[in-house]
Amino acid sequence: MAVKIAAMILAGGKGTRLGALTRKLAKPAVSYGGKYRIIDFPLSNCANSGITHVGVLTQYESSGLNSYVGNGRNWGLNGVNCLTSVLSPKQTEQGSNWYRGTADAIYQNLDWLDALSPEYVLILSGDHIYATTYDAMLQQHIGNKADCTVAVRNVPLSEASRFGICETNESGFIVGFKEKPKNPKGTLASMGIYIFTYQTLRKYLKADYGKELSEHDFGKDIIPAMIARKKRLLAYRYDGYWKDVGTIVSLHQANMDLLLSGDPAINLYSIQNSAHIYSEDNHCAPQYIGASAVVRDCLINQGAMVKGLVDHCVISAEVVVEEGAECHNAVLMNGCHIHSGAKVYDCLVAPNEVVRRGETINAARDGIVLYAGGRETK
Amino acid sequence: MKKVAGIVNFHSSPEISPITDSRPLGSTSYLGRYAFCDFALSNLCNSGISSVGLMVKNHQRSILKHLGSMDSWVINTKISQTRILYNEPAQRDPRLNTDVNNLLENDWLLYDASYQMFAIVPSHIVMPIDLRPFIERHVEANQDITLIAAKQDNLKQHWIGSKVFKVNDKGELIGWDVNKGQFSGKNLVNLDVILINRPTLVSVLRQYAPTHPSMDLVSLLLAAHDEGRHKIALDYYDGYARCIDSFQHYMDYSFEILDRKNAERLFLKSWPIYTLTHDTPPALYGGASEVRNSYISNGSRIEGKVINSIIARNVHVGKGAVVRNSIIFSTVRINDNASVENALVDKYSIIERGHVLKGKAKDPLYVHQGAIL
Repeated sequence: MAVKIAAMILAGGKGTRLGALTRKLAKPAVSYGGKYRIIDFPLSNCANSGITHVGVLTQYESSGLNSYVGNGRNWGLNGVNCLTSVLSPKQTEQGSNWYRGTADAIYQNLDWLDALSPEYVLILSGDHIYATTYDAMLQQHIGNKADCTVAVRNVPLSEASRFGICETNESGFIVGFKEKPKNPKGTLASMGIYIFTYQTLRKYLKADYGKELSEHDFGKDIIPAMIARKKRLLAYRYDGYWKDVGTIVSLHQANMDLLLSGDPAINLYSIQNSAHIYSEDNHCAPQYIGASAVVRDCLINQGAMVKGLVDHCVISAEVVVEEGAECHNAVLMNGCHIHSGAKVYDCLVAPNEVVRRGETINAARDGIVLYAGGRETK
Repeated sequence: MKKVAGIVNFHSSPEISPITDSRPLGSTSYLGRYAFCDFALSNLCNSGISSVGLMVKNHQRSILKHLGSMDSWVINTKISQTRILYNEPAQRDPRLNTDVNNLLENDWLLYDASYQMFAIVPSHIVMPIDLRPFIERHVEANQDITLIAAKQDNLKQHWIGSKVFKVNDKGELIGWDVNKGQFSGKNLVNLDVILINRPTLVSVLRQYAPTHPSMDLVSLLLAAHDEGRHKIALDYYDGYARCIDSFQHYMDYSFEILDRKNAERLFLKSWPIYTLTHDTPPALYGGASEVRNSYISNGSRIEGKVINSIIARNVHVGKGAVVRNSIIFSTVRINDNASVENALVDKYSIIERGHVLKGKAKDPLYVHQGAIL
């Protein structure tokens, strides 16, 4: 069967600014929302879009992520005529190469894509949080006979220098593109989500591979090269909830956005019908709320046991909050244990951490901290 | 464990109307997250038994819906075998719809010489039982039939309808009776777990089934034992075990797991209980919610008060609503300011805004599936 569109998820990044959370784990595998890992979102989006062929490109601390992705079973991407492949750097006749950039990662897997011979390729990032389908974007790409469609959104001018900034004409085609400009002229930012017509992409990746000065990056090299050759690059506006969580503060905020008091645009309950988010199942006992517990404005996963006070918290499976413990504005990741008398404020608590009796995390309450390895960091 | 086939017996479970009017007890919701048969299936899986037959009595739809492709409970998805054992002809005559006739209808199982023995377990008794030591003792002592029993108190109230064994000083089975509340003190209750060698089962069925067309399997084995044709050995289990024998007990036994001491006896660290995933998001609690001593399942949104209750998947408890001493099945809406006390609300029901529903602790209300009150 001919494959119309294949998705390639770039999941090799280290996520340096997440500190201890990504010391032994790739950023897309970081837990989020009490139950999920970040990569569940792009993978579920693919499943919900009817995409059947997905390559997940991993590199940094890949073993945990590789086994998590597996054959795509958690997202139903293991059905008939489906293929989920974990694509890590490999040894070839030419030697062995790490992925030198986002474009190089795809280039090194052209054989995988050639075997499928898709009409279109969707390039995604494994560490973005958003729930959508790619149907409308693909329709727009096909309808306009585009060579490449770039998902874009408006960002505040103050943040524009962190993104690739697009310049578009009246018909929505991209006529200029600058990756992380020092003095941004516009605010229309690329989200790092692209649909390419495969044969065009293939040509540009091959040409880019031999260029010595290239950083082999979509934003820095491939997109500008296509604009220079007057290819049809289309901007696709996406205004829904979308977060590229790079820091402890933004990961904490993205968790809090899921609460009932948070951002209605990412409320996992209101989006359920159109965009179910799938994840690994756990075999925990049911979630228990104790007789003297106080639970206010929280998201709590099965297998958690809450006997103390939790206010404005996101709580994962197998977390224990003992009677007499207090947690405020905290994200408690898998398996952490908050003992009686402990207090936790404005904090991400890393998986399996223990906060002992009488201990207080972030007593000063001056910003969000990460508690990992028994230490607080910012 | 390749030589042991597990059979989950849906025939032996009691009907507890009205909950089981449209489903067998084995696939009835328990603690908001499980079906009762999850315990049987998890026990077999954790005990390393990879060939499993499901001996279905009726309401196949409900069982198949819960089990899906069975992947949640099998060890190796290629090597493990799961089969539905269903007795189509007996559906017309309830007297013949027994586990014995089901085995005869699916007799291919009996002729498969790759199985040395069967471990037949009930679909409805809640217990975390590791079958391996029982099987080892059965094999070592060269037994033909082992029935597993539990020493239980208070049979005046519990285990009604279960068989109670009498033993002599040597621990040998010398008689049995059905519990109608006549026993006092500690007694040996049948847990409906049968370990039986394949040739023995074939022989018992051949000898007794034709003359006892509506007798259940345990009774048939006991008859064979009484007549001295096949000896039954008893073995004992001393962990948590509950038999859901009435609607009231369904409520009581569910609520007793809110007590951590009972929960810790049921959910052992080394003995996970598997169930079907529904990919629902974690439970969401509103800023004014008040939840105490309750089990809350994923996919539920709690904005009101939930006290001493069990809430299943996809339940919404609205603002100002109160749920107390109640069990709410999945996909139920308790709208704003409604109140539910001492009740079981079955699936897909809606309790309208401000509605007050109040049962008694010893006589809980039942709201049937899909009701709008």
